Amino acid sequence: MASQDPFDSALDLLRRLNPKHTANNVGALINLVPDLTEDLLSSVDQPLQVQRCKKTGRDYLLCDYNRDGDSYRSPWSNEFDPPLTDGTIPSEKVRKMEIAANDAFDIYRELEANRYYEGGVSSVYFWNLDDGFAGVVLLKKSVSSTNKSTGSWDSIHVFEAIDRARTAHYKLTSTVILNMISGDESLGEMDLSGNMTRQVEQDLPVEDDSSHIANIGKLVEDMELKMRNLLQEVYFGKAKDVVGDLRSIISLTEHKKDRSVHQEMISSMTKR
Amino acid sequence: MSATETAETITNFILDAPPGELQDVITDIKALVGDDQDILNAIVPAVEKYNKEQLISTKLPGGSQLVIVSEHNKLPDGRFFDIGSQSSFDFDHTKLKASSVQSYVLESQNSDLIKSLLRDVEPHVKEHYPSLPAFGIYPVDKDSSIAIVIVGNKYSPSNYWNGRWRSTYIFTPSTSELTGTIQVDVHYYEDGNVRLLTMKPIQASLSSGSAAEIVKNIIGVEKKYQEELNRAFGALSEGAFKGLRRQLPITRQKIDWDKIGSYRLGQDIGGGRAVQR
Repeated sequence: MASQDPFDSALDLLRRLNPKHTANNVGALINLVPDLTEDLLSSVDQPLQVQRCKKTGRDYLLCDYNRDGDSYRSPWSNEFDPPLTDGTIPSEKVRKMEIAANDAFDIYRELEANRYYEGGVSSVYFWNLDDGFAGVVLLKKSVSSTNKSTGSWDSIHVFEAIDRARTAHYKLTSTVILNMISGDESLGEMDLSGNMTRQVEQDLPVEDDSSHIANIGKLVEDMELKMRNLLQEVYFGKAKDVVGDLRSIISLTEHKKDRSVHQEMISSMTKR
Repeated sequence: MSATETAETITNFILDAPPGELQDVITDIKALVGDDQDILNAIVPAVEKYNKEQLISTKLPGGSQLVIVSEHNKLPDGRFFDIGSQSSFDFDHTKLKASSVQSYVLESQNSDLIKSLLRDVEPHVKEHYPSLPAFGIYPVDKDSSIAIVIVGNKYSPSNYWNGRWRSTYIFTPSTSELTGTIQVDVHYYEDGNVRLLTMKPIQASLSSGSAAEIVKNIIGVEKKYQEELNRAFGALSEGAFKGLRRQLPITRQKIDWDKIGSYRLGQDIGGGRAVQR
């Protein structure tokens, strides 16, 4: 047991404890084992915070990737809040792509006939690597519907784009945090919350910088489609099935009767 | 971090453990903070509290039925009793093992009702709890009320999910009031961490307060609740979930990224066009 890596143990613990408590639990783990601070803050995804850009008045999302000390960089103004004179910003070439990517994901999110999110907030942050660049695409949407339920969706897509001859190698790690609460007199309280993570790697052709925006867009779009289907299956299929495994609405005798009737039907059909 | 704060953190972690994963949580805690005496002193009471809250069930040595460990059937000396098997037993909270079984004789002004309930609740539990069912009927609140406790567990760690259904009812003969809670806890953790936690308070006024009436009420309440919960899954899927993110754009076609990428990057971004939108 002593040989178990503390970071792995911390991640295993966070994968088991109530995902709604992740932010608190990360804080508690950092107090318990201060050595894990950097690793935990950079690798555990938490619901995204929204901040308004003082210069442009537009909302943007906060994460570890646009943070420098206690300041956060706005993707709209490229400036830090609270202001930093020496904050880390991407090179001019990468910043140009970052602006284009922010515009592209605005379209993806809510503009023109696309509107996957019909609202919400998105932010894209890029940074330079020695042999390419990396970035994170963030999307957040909350709903509070009139029929007793609320929900929030946070997507965090972290990628690396490593330059090769006429192609780039993309590695994408995506997490979606999906929290939903429903409740009223007859239902009581129902909290269905959590997160799922998936990874994909792919080589894609690159002609110029705009190819990167298109490639990242396609990767994120495909990943979100895949993850939305997966979340649908786990949250509304699997979780509901497990409840049915714990308690059966129809009595087990009836259940057996139904099954034997079904069996008889099948055998009488096959006899014909 | 002070010893008290450490103990508090450990307690919170333990009480948050999903069904069937307490040992994994304890293993992680020990790997993070060690297992010296201070740590063990924090773990043991938290585990006892967890077991009682979660209605952990165990088989008595030589027994075939599961018996429950809860606040309602705890004896002053720390042992637990079970009316169905007329036994009391020691319980090792960390190893989840019962031992030192002795015979236990029910002494209660409601002993007839308790015995009738034992008889009438059993078929309900057998018919509706397919996996690791357990139940117990106990005199509580200085023998003024009766606790009816039902639990079903399903553990499937190889498929990364576990679940628990807990029903706890308190019937008070003097007022014929039936109160209680139904709680469902489901954990799914393959490449993620998804948790369903529900809590439904129950309150009903009965007329005769007979065992048959109490059980009929419980059957009705549980059936209605489970149907309501199933409807809520559908409503969330069709409502909030769809409202968060569409499966496909309104055009029902994926986005033409080649067009978007070149169109946007081709524009002049000098002079801060993007910041003045």
